[in-house]
Amino acid sequence: MTRKDFIVKWLAYALALLPIWFLEAYLLSRYPLWGVKPMLLPLCAIAVATLEGATAGTGFALAVGVIFDAMDPGVPGAMIFIMALLGLGAGLLSQYVLRQDLVGCFLCSVLALVVMDALRIAVRLLMGTAPLRPMLELAGKEILWSLCFVPMVYLVFRWVFHRVPKATVL
Amino acid sequence: MKDFLKQNGILILIIALLLSLIAAVLSFTFGGMADPFANLAGMVSTPFRNGIHTVVEWAEELYSDAFEREQMEQELEALRQENARLRAEAREGEAASRENERLRDLLDFQQKHTELRTEPATVTARGSSNWSSTLTVSKGSASGVEAGNCVIDQYGNLVGIISEAGLNWATLLTVVDVDLEMGGLIARTDEAAILEGDFTLMGQGKLKLSYLPQDTRLLAGDTVLTSGLVSGGTAAYPSGLLVGYVAEVRSDAGGMSDYAVLTPAADLETLEQVFIIKEFNVVE
Repeated sequence: MTRKDFIVKWLAYALALLPIWFLEAYLLSRYPLWGVKPMLLPLCAIAVATLEGATAGTGFALAVGVIFDAMDPGVPGAMIFIMALLGLGAGLLSQYVLRQDLVGCFLCSVLALVVMDALRIAVRLLMGTAPLRPMLELAGKEILWSLCFVPMVYLVFRWVFHRVPKATVL
Repeated sequence: MKDFLKQNGILILIIALLLSLIAAVLSFTFGGMADPFANLAGMVSTPFRNGIHTVVEWAEELYSDAFEREQMEQELEALRQENARLRAEAREGEAASRENERLRDLLDFQQKHTELRTEPATVTARGSSNWSSTLTVSKGSASGVEAGNCVIDQYGNLVGIISEAGLNWATLLTVVDVDLEMGGLIARTDEAAILEGDFTLMGQGKLKLSYLPQDTRLLAGDTVLTSGLVSGGTAAYPSGLLVGYVAEVRSDAGGMSDYAVLTPAADLETLEQVFIIKEFNVVE
């Protein structure tokens, strides 16, 4: 793959990310369902990792992590590294254990969302700022609502995947 | 895994780790100011945010005009009636106010007043995280906005506190956010308690009034104001800002103490215009 192909490919993924980011940040955030908004950005990272494999998935998840970190007022900087690790995990799982399809993406998304919320809960428990039960309830609702968007996110990135050069060489 | 190692995957992970550390260090170094990454991201996305906000507003207005006309007419009628009632109360209050002024003069007390220097701003985005309740507004450090500034709506109701200020944007934690904690005062009984967010209530757009004094008897609809006190006893927020109304009183999980559930006075869901209090002077 030439350098130009490489740039076009990741530009296409970035362009696919934009409408989903806007949907999450500016539309769905205004209309929560049962008080909960879905997390779409991690799903984008997982979808790309499922389709592209571990290395490219880690790179894309890193970029998504930077955006997520700027949007999410949690522990500063933490989401960049966590997203990269989740991208790596999803890439490896889909490449070697699961399949690189919607089912694989769905299972990786479940794991990624559970890990993210488990970390958030762990941080708050360590800081002693909130009791466990309401956080578990919130995490459960958030994960379920977010998972409803996996097919949509996966199909958007699969559409891009079929139209960009395949092998990523860094 | 072999492919991952061969294709410089470790390098990407190291870059991710370094970026994480840099972001964390910058965030702690800059305190309430946005770190350079967040500032840049905020500055770049501000025009998009404003554009999207305008389009969404326009669509919501169209929807309201088309489908909520009857409801709006009913609300208008209710507001007219309330307006008439409040005018009557204001006339009665004027006499009491004049008497209060005369008595203060007699006792040589300083006249009670509140001076607020505010910066108007528009809400351009709502936080997408379920773990916090934030709003992004259109003014930042270039307009003198700082972390810790109070934010009110056009009626003077407390909306929240600025948590991070970028150059042309700022993020505020709303009153229902779980990380916000401040002193509250029950207006009817003049008793102090603590206002704080709660994960269960945040999704419903409500907050908690906890550490209620013993034998407090709250009534639904009781108003709760800011006491002006934060931990350490320093007045960081103006006192007397309306925070919300008591909706109900509940017992905590252990059943040992009660807390009140408050409905914020500011309508956080539809809020568009806010005022950031940059300086204040309150004489009680």
